[in-house]
Amino acid sequence: MTLPATIHAELQEAVASSNALACLSCGKCTSVCPLATTGRQYSPRINVTRTIRQDYDTLLSDADLWSCLTCQKCDAYCPAGVSYLNLMAVLRSKARQNGFTGECSHAGALQSLARLMVNPDLKQNRLDWLPEQLKTSSKGDILYYVGCTPYFDALFTNLNLHTTQAAVSSIALLNELGIVPALMADERCCGHDLYWNGDVDNFRRLAEANCAAIENTGAKLVLFSCAECLSAFKNLYKEHGLGVSADLQHISEYLAGKVDSGDLILTGDDVMATYHDPCRLGRHLGIYEAPRKLLKPNGNNQLPEMSQNKGRALCCGVSAWMNCDTVSKSIQIERLKQARATGAEVLAIACPKCQIHLLCAQHDQGIGAQNAIEIRDIATIVLGRIAGNSVVVEQIESMAV
Amino acid sequence: MNSRDPTIHQLISDTQATLRLDDTPTATFRVGPVEASPCTWACPAGVNVKTYVSLIAAGRFSEALEVVRRNNPLPAICGRICTHPCEEACNRTQIDDPVAICALKRFLTDYEMAHPPDRPQPAPRTKKESVAVVGSGPGGLTAAHDLIRMGYGVTIFEALPMAGGMLAAGVPNFRLSRDVLELEIDMIRALGVEIQTGVRITGDRATVGLFEEGYQAIFFAVGAHKARKLGYPGEDAAGIVDCIAFLRDVNLGNPQKPGDKTVVIGGGHSALDSAQTALRLGAKEVTIIYRRSRKEMPATPSDVRGAESEGIQIHFLVAPKQLRVKDGRITGVECIRTKLGATDESGRRRPHPVEGSEFIVKADTIITAIGEEPDLSFLPANHGLDISQRWNTFIVDEAILATSRPGIFAGGDVVTGPKSVVDAIAAGHVAARSIDRYLHRKPLARELLWKPPTEVEIKVDLESRPRIPRVPMPVTAVAERINNFKEVDLGFSAEEAMAEAHRCMRCGPCRECTVCVPECDKQIALLSAANGEGALLLRFLPGLEAGRLPLVPHSVSVTGRSGVEISAQVHPLVSHVNERRCRGCGDCVSVCEYDAVRLEERDGGISVAHVDVDRCKGCGTCAAYCPSGAMEPGYFTEEWLTGLLAGMSPERTNLVVITCSWGGARLYDFIGRKQHKNMDITYLQTLCAGRVEPALVLRSFEMGAAGVLINSCGVSDCHYRFGAAQLTRNYAKIEQLVTMVGIHPARLRYEQIPSVDAARFDRILQTFARQIRKLGTGQRAPLETVSG
Repeated sequence: MTLPATIHAELQEAVASSNALACLSCGKCTSVCPLATTGRQYSPRINVTRTIRQDYDTLLSDADLWSCLTCQKCDAYCPAGVSYLNLMAVLRSKARQNGFTGECSHAGALQSLARLMVNPDLKQNRLDWLPEQLKTSSKGDILYYVGCTPYFDALFTNLNLHTTQAAVSSIALLNELGIVPALMADERCCGHDLYWNGDVDNFRRLAEANCAAIENTGAKLVLFSCAECLSAFKNLYKEHGLGVSADLQHISEYLAGKVDSGDLILTGDDVMATYHDPCRLGRHLGIYEAPRKLLKPNGNNQLPEMSQNKGRALCCGVSAWMNCDTVSKSIQIERLKQARATGAEVLAIACPKCQIHLLCAQHDQGIGAQNAIEIRDIATIVLGRIAGNSVVVEQIESMAV
Repeated sequence: MNSRDPTIHQLISDTQATLRLDDTPTATFRVGPVEASPCTWACPAGVNVKTYVSLIAAGRFSEALEVVRRNNPLPAICGRICTHPCEEACNRTQIDDPVAICALKRFLTDYEMAHPPDRPQPAPRTKKESVAVVGSGPGGLTAAHDLIRMGYGVTIFEALPMAGGMLAAGVPNFRLSRDVLELEIDMIRALGVEIQTGVRITGDRATVGLFEEGYQAIFFAVGAHKARKLGYPGEDAAGIVDCIAFLRDVNLGNPQKPGDKTVVIGGGHSALDSAQTALRLGAKEVTIIYRRSRKEMPATPSDVRGAESEGIQIHFLVAPKQLRVKDGRITGVECIRTKLGATDESGRRRPHPVEGSEFIVKADTIITAIGEEPDLSFLPANHGLDISQRWNTFIVDEAILATSRPGIFAGGDVVTGPKSVVDAIAAGHVAARSIDRYLHRKPLARELLWKPPTEVEIKVDLESRPRIPRVPMPVTAVAERINNFKEVDLGFSAEEAMAEAHRCMRCGPCRECTVCVPECDKQIALLSAANGEGALLLRFLPGLEAGRLPLVPHSVSVTGRSGVEISAQVHPLVSHVNERRCRGCGDCVSVCEYDAVRLEERDGGISVAHVDVDRCKGCGTCAAYCPSGAMEPGYFTEEWLTGLLAGMSPERTNLVVITCSWGGARLYDFIGRKQHKNMDITYLQTLCAGRVEPALVLRSFEMGAAGVLINSCGVSDCHYRFGAAQLTRNYAKIEQLVTMVGIHPARLRYEQIPSVDAARFDRILQTFARQIRKLGTGQRAPLETVSG
């Protein structure tokens, strides 16, 4: 494929937004890149150098353009302030416009679902999982943004997946706090994955529709269980001049605040859990402490931490349902090994996609069994820690079994 | 000729056959034998039952008859008097009654007679050798039929004044009309077979003379025309006759009128035929005595019931003890009651006389029908052939049928003792192949005998099948038939035949009948014999990488071990692992029921899938389950399918039809030609329904489909045995996702219509299209900005 002559002018933006000219070529980025350290011939440093040299043919046609996890670990370690994340965003969008794409996992089912949700007359049936006992409404001050977990549960039946459990537990906790959250029957995909697939047009359409819908509910606060949804709303929407008037929080932030205020008391049984920082919640949004507060054992016990945690945390191995392969699995297996090494009983996660990817590695017929550790979402763990305090909670728990 | 053609069959087990592409070196390959349905297993002649029944269900009668004729040159005869082991094997027996396969076959020939085709052209003579066939029964006729089509000269010698052997001399007209018999024999005559009737081959002519007359091989198919004797004093008295003589006289037109009270001794078809014939000749009271119970009767139960309905009495567990003769004339038979003891070598319980239970049955005429054996008196004293002293039959290897003298073959009843028509037909096929190999100085290998390569359990969900009563065979009322020799069974009408054929559950996978081939523009991976009469699925051994084959169906020539040139259309269809994409989860290993995928360990304990291309059948079910897109099914790739979807016009109402290459193969053709008003149809084909996964359906809608119609084989007749079952399971997931994302459930439909039934598919497609028009156009996602 030949690139148009205007490509250099068009990609000036890539140089500017990534701050590529500041690169010192020190190679720290590559030395911490999960791909590079897990055996893929991949170097962020070289790609930044190519950007400076304007070698766009190579950059845009490289199959590994789509392998980058956008985990932002390279940026975290960069002494010169280069944003590899921004570089990826520009390059992928431009690559897609020129006919390049990544290899979609699951035959592209998730990308198709996201694009189908662009339809302005959309009438979904996505709330079937919602138990009757939970109290929700269509309008209200606090909106709970479910994310695409109902689709995940329907699609990944082979993993025996229940990512909607996070939503059930979150809503149960909100009800426990006396809150009846609003839910949107026609909530759309946040567009995060299409954005990182380079399909910025459809990302934008989804973002616009979501923003309008949220404003329509009159919500003052939107809570998320999915780290990627939250990062899309807080970072990506903002970059595109979109947004909502409401505050945006991860459910763990909100619950941690309620623990601080004494509204939520964690008196139930401790669960020895170690916490996996999702890239989007951690490096992308800087949220590290709130989930830990919810997991910290009572008494003097410390929260067991993995060798790579917080800003240095290892990614779950796949991003935006693309370019999944043995390297992805090696990363996942490494992460599961780190979790097991802590001696924790449970691996706590704050993003349904991390949950799916790590669960998929455990599902492996070969080495899955050697890396067994229970993976549970953070809201469900919190719900367990207040068990016995509420009839509602007991009902929900019995349903979850 | 058929899937038992020796050259093709030889290739099935020939893993070292070679294939030549135009521009590449030779490579090894293997053809994939395909499992058959129970009915086809059961047929001694290997008639592809499932296929022709399916074709009848679809109203494609002449094609159905063509399928029958591939293995059976006497369908009209078999349609009347076959013992139909296929029906005993039919899975429907476990639900209600077997499909009336025999009657369906008869229907096909009735239909043909009502719409007669041209008399067949003589088969071209391509070989200098000639074969003498002694005996014109079903075995001799079949061998002659096969040999003349192979290009030999064939003469049949028949001792009786008319051709047909036992069919003509033994079977009464009310079961098999002479017209039908004559017509079927005439079809074989038309091919160029000379039948000399009234010529009894005897003495040295049988073993030496025929060779001297210019025949290079002889096939003895003289049947078993000698009636067994009771061996009791008085058997030569007036009024006692054996069934062979009795029936032959009737069939030759000089019947001996039986007495008012006629007693028939025996329990086989000859006994029934004799009794029913006696009744028609005016006997007032006809009684059959049989020494075992009803269950052990060799005659078909429905035929027994038919005889009883005509008023014939059957006394079970009664054996003759001695004959009563007065003044040189039979007056009756002294009988003794029996009870059944242990099972004997025939598999039936042996009768033992009950002492003191003797009684007398009065009779003016006694017809003995206690068995037949071959009459080998035609052979010269010094024949030098191996003969069983006990059975008076030729001793031959039944897989070869060669006697102990070179060039002399024997088969049918003369080898096995009395058996059914279809067994004789099977022997005729074997004899023809053996003779062909003998004349070409090739070793007479045992593998020539048709044998299923592997037994396979056909999984049919019987629980969910509705009970459908069997369509009864229309018969002439008893009062209107017992005084004449007109056929009793009247045969099905077209409507009755189609209704009955619809009862067939289509057990087992595609039989590669290749009915679809002439109209298929793909002709994928199909190997067809040089004479154009056989076809098999081609699979490649690792020696021939898919990459070396052209990406389009390609003509090649193949040399089998037998040396026979075979032209083939090939396509590499096996799945391929893109190792870069594989994450080694093993989902492909779990779903593959051919054990064709295994995991190979790489560094760090991470595995990568590996496809054994020798086992892989290319169904693509693995691809449907692969999470990372590493499994690429040959030809039917995601890229190809997406490319087809991209052709949909946003201005039009688009219907996407997804079918497998077996159940849907003909439908493709059909859709290709059919115009639908205001509606574009985009046709997606996968090799197997197992390849169809949620993403394919979702993408169809995403890219502009207003409706998606999926069609595959049924779960019980899936070519790949499990693909349709996988889709049936997966379909719930597809439906759930489609509904969840707000697409009207009526926009999605899944059918399991066999490819032969394109007409039914048409009706469903029309209904579906109307429904979609009502719902309006689909919801194509807004287009992205694509530069360049």
